[in-house]
Amino acid sequence: MIYGVFFALWGGVVIGLIYWQAASYLGRVSDELIGRQAAYFSMLDEPTRLRALKDYDTLETRRLNAWGEFDARGNYLSGTITALPSHVPINGAVALLPEGVSRNDVSGNDHGRVRAAAVRLRDGRVLMITRDTSIVDRIGTIVLQALLWGLSLTVIPGFLGGWLLSRGPWRRVHAIRDATLPIMQGNLAQRLPVGRRGDELDMLAGIVNAMLDEIERLLGEVKGVCDNIAHDLRTPLTRLRSRLYRLQQQFGEGSEEAAAIDACMIDTDALLDRFRALLRISELENQRRRIGFDEVDLGEILREVHALYLPLAEDRGQQLALELPVLPLIHADRHLLLEALSNLVANAIKFTPSGGRVEIRARPADDGPWVDVVDSGPGIPPDQRDAVIRRFYRTESSRSTPGSGLGLSIVSAIARLHGYTLEIAGSDRGAQLSLHCRAARAV
Amino acid sequence: MPRILVIEDDDVTAREIAAELTGHGIDVDRIADGSEGLLRAADPCYDAITLDMMLPGMDGLSVVTRLRAQGVATPVLMISALCDVDERVRGLRAGGDDYLTKPFAPDEMLARVEVLLRRHRPQTPQTVLTVADLELDLVRHVARRAGKELSLLPTEFKLLEFLMRNAGQVLTRTMIFETVWGFHFDPGTNLIDVHIGRLRRKIDTAGLAPLIHTVRGSGYCLAQND
Repeated sequence: MIYGVFFALWGGVVIGLIYWQAASYLGRVSDELIGRQAAYFSMLDEPTRLRALKDYDTLETRRLNAWGEFDARGNYLSGTITALPSHVPINGAVALLPEGVSRNDVSGNDHGRVRAAAVRLRDGRVLMITRDTSIVDRIGTIVLQALLWGLSLTVIPGFLGGWLLSRGPWRRVHAIRDATLPIMQGNLAQRLPVGRRGDELDMLAGIVNAMLDEIERLLGEVKGVCDNIAHDLRTPLTRLRSRLYRLQQQFGEGSEEAAAIDACMIDTDALLDRFRALLRISELENQRRRIGFDEVDLGEILREVHALYLPLAEDRGQQLALELPVLPLIHADRHLLLEALSNLVANAIKFTPSGGRVEIRARPADDGPWVDVVDSGPGIPPDQRDAVIRRFYRTESSRSTPGSGLGLSIVSAIARLHGYTLEIAGSDRGAQLSLHCRAARAV
Repeated sequence: MPRILVIEDDDVTAREIAAELTGHGIDVDRIADGSEGLLRAADPCYDAITLDMMLPGMDGLSVVTRLRAQGVATPVLMISALCDVDERVRGLRAGGDDYLTKPFAPDEMLARVEVLLRRHRPQTPQTVLTVADLELDLVRHVARRAGKELSLLPTEFKLLEFLMRNAGQVLTRTMIFETVWGFHFDPGTNLIDVHIGRLRRKIDTAGLAPLIHTVRGSGYCLAQND
């Protein structure tokens, strides 16, 4: 674009220069011509001069040149020019008369610009010769037209061609951008499109894809290690828990030992819960099948979740409200959706202080219903919103609250499996977590 | 004395199961092979079967499918290393009565086996469940404690029915959640405790002997204290 403008400007300057050169050269030539003619005629005696001037008239078929003889006071005597303009210097110097001269051989008011030279003859009369400069102007017009044509013939196809040429790469960059979106959202199996041209864009896409392969492999390894650790530690932990349980049975309730064993069991259970949640997430992430998918009634699920958690909220002195308009059926896995929504509600209840309020609000939309879970807890700071759905992440203020820190990761994994989105909003007066049950795209 | 067939190829797990069950007065026979297990399982002397999903000879899913095809109705507890929901659904669809993932707490396994045993015992279809002075009329949907009618929410009614059907039996929180609500996820925090607490406040009112007991480290049990 910027090159186009630059090119047009440069072309304009070049053609303008040509015009200026040609015009000044032609002007100089005609000035010289009429100056010389005036000097020549002034040297002849009267009869010869008049004859020569008549011949001059006859030869001048294009009526570019004209002449006139005037007496010493400027009155017309003979010739084709009928009036002597007052401001013409009578010394043979060439002057420009923009308003033209009045002539008797040209009909109408054709007073084009003329250049004029006037000389005083020996008998005191004045001879003026003029030359129409419209030819120079016409050349100017021609040059100007050439300029415009030239510009339009270079600039318009230039821009058009440039646009056409850039459209291909533009489209490919767009395709690449579209392909990176799911990758940024965590779908590392996605790759950038690589064309067959092997140009710079393809090379770049190839490099990025190779990088993604490596990242995916490394992440897979890390995840595999995590899963293996979780899996392998579960067996000894379960065994530890059973031993504690058996030990607990041997001590009477209320004894000091029983209390200590109870505390150990609670810690072991928390550990087991965490491992279970971790394995659950990796199970959800590996699940590509959709065998449990069916038409489900979101409203019914919300009513169940509400009934399930209402006693818990009431025990904690909280209000748990359900706002449920009529919703269309959605295509989802009922059990997974229940699990996700339960986690959202449990999470909201956990972080809302006693006397607070948790609301479950459903709202229909064209591209699938939304479920908002709004609480009156401390809220999630905007810079931590992405982090809370990461595994194990817990906000600073929530470190003291029991829990695996994996609830929202599970919700997020279930949302991803469904092609739903989980949005986190709210302020310091409460968090709003919204699950958008986007209508399933064709699978 | 109830008798149970344990079909399990992993020796450590098999011993663990056997130890826990015999410790609670249950006879145990152990088989490590799938096809052999299928032959033995048809024997009507068994009151329940624990069945591992991955076995040499024949996998657990095929065993339970064939067993049901032969018309054997002995309750089966499927035990699998896979905690996949699909796997559970497949196991239960094939004819399994309950599903437990490895590694499991022995008391959880015992509780599930005991529930299966009770279900297997021939019982006349009951319309009224009775434990001490607590009465649950399943037809008229009425609960009474010491002759006084209790007002229960539908979930509380279901919860009480499950507890009363398995009276004297330890029921873990997971079992309660799976059976009463039909959900298979970790409900988090003390959700089940809260629901039990509500029911307890309605049933075990002041002045009456408590019927719902908390079993430390395990779960709950509805029973009349001796």
